[in-house]
Amino acid sequence: MSGFLGPLDSGARVPPAQQTRIAAFLISAHGALARQFAFTLPVSLDAAWQTELNAQFYRETEIVSLLMRATTWVPDLALGYMVASWETAWLPAPIDEIPDRRLAQAVHLATLAHAVHAGIRPAALLPTEANAQDPFVMALRRIEFESGRLLQAQILFLKGTDLAPHRDAVSAILEQRHASVRKLWRETLANIGIEAS
Amino acid sequence: MPFLNHGSYRIRYELDGPARAPAYVFVNGLTQYSELWGAYREALLTRGFRVATFDLLGQGVSDKPTLFINQDDQVAALRLLIEALGEGPVFLSGISFGGLIALRYAIEHGQRLSRLVPMSCFAELTPQLMLLGNALRTGLILGGTGYLQDLLLPMNLSDQWLKPLLDKLDSVKRQGWLVNDVYALQNLMESFLDFQPLTPRLSAISAPTMILNGEFDFLTPRHLHETLRVEIPNSSLVIIPKAYHAFTLEKGALTADLLARFADDVLAGRWQGNQAVWVAPEEPGGELTPFPDGYDHLRAIPVKRALA
Repeated sequence: MSGFLGPLDSGARVPPAQQTRIAAFLISAHGALARQFAFTLPVSLDAAWQTELNAQFYRETEIVSLLMRATTWVPDLALGYMVASWETAWLPAPIDEIPDRRLAQAVHLATLAHAVHAGIRPAALLPTEANAQDPFVMALRRIEFESGRLLQAQILFLKGTDLAPHRDAVSAILEQRHASVRKLWRETLANIGIEAS
Repeated sequence: MPFLNHGSYRIRYELDGPARAPAYVFVNGLTQYSELWGAYREALLTRGFRVATFDLLGQGVSDKPTLFINQDDQVAALRLLIEALGEGPVFLSGISFGGLIALRYAIEHGQRLSRLVPMSCFAELTPQLMLLGNALRTGLILGGTGYLQDLLLPMNLSDQWLKPLLDKLDSVKRQGWLVNDVYALQNLMESFLDFQPLTPRLSAISAPTMILNGEFDFLTPRHLHETLRVEIPNSSLVIIPKAYHAFTLEKGALTADLLARFADDVLAGRWQGNQAVWVAPEEPGGELTPFPDGYDHLRAIPVKRALA
């Protein structure tokens, strides 16, 4: 097991089989966020904070589009089962501690987005010698960088005054989300010979 | 890799050296990780000490709380580590953020400490320090860990250290970038949002205390260390020549030598604090010299100290 993608090919590119698995996982996670932001986004904005929903929706869509085009795809029969398990994991789970259903739905989305943006660092998998001019390498770096920015909206909301009465519950839900997303990510990486830190 | 358990969190630590020997415990700065004390581990083990290092909550291999990090938990983690050391003498040293945690430990659990060494430290968030901290946090948010490192490196290290590394800074930054996560660093920085100044509590520190401050420390300048010197009864301030905020990284051999000599002097009953001000030697093994009598050690130019 290695901590990094590779061994790289003669052009210092990531092997296509690894690209396929990594991209499929990231498309599943960011695609789920894009869909859920799309459902939450009103046709007409009536509050300033909703501008952030719009931004999050388009950034997530951009990440999906980028990966679809930057990845060197190869057939991968195991993906069917894996994608199904990933998609199930992104579904909203009941949050009993927050009786307000709209608030609970917002907490679900924010905790999932926080776990994906904070807990998954695809650029940290790149060895130093990876080809900086390769689109997949650049895509992973962009996604990690953008995730750090997107994360700020989730941090502001989850630490904000609206959720102050539910602070312990929110922290527990977020820890659980991080653990479950990290587990899926580690399993995905382990299947391609990578040991995540 | 051993861990301590604090509630649901795991704290990674390393402990080496003979069980009954005096122990040095090091507390990391904000962007540090345990391995950065490697040179100190070797130097102090050679001189017969026990050495303990750990990753604070939110750092390195320790757990990274997702939303909030409370500085009380950092003090509790440090307490767990010191309890794990047993009964021998404990010398506690921390740098910058870690110095603050060490100060809090010394205030709240000082009876367990033999001696204290705060380095590049502060007890107050002055306007400059608060605004610098806010700017660094904004840098982290907008540019990620790499940008925060870009800001900290030239602020905290000398030209002499940086010059030979200019064409390999990416490799210098890489391990710190790998082990630090944006959200965890942000949580560590935001643990200051409800920070209460320690100055009124410093007089409770009874352990002999050697305060180390780099001559050119821009981030936590001399007057922040002066607060510690004035308020901690049995203290002395040692100025490290030509050093910046991160002198533990840049001048590891000199600092480890000062730490070992301080411990030896204390254990032999030779050390006297007297709230004195000293200038450290430039090389390990050199003599400490008293700051010139009558001159103001808070100034960067030779100004006579005002009579009280």
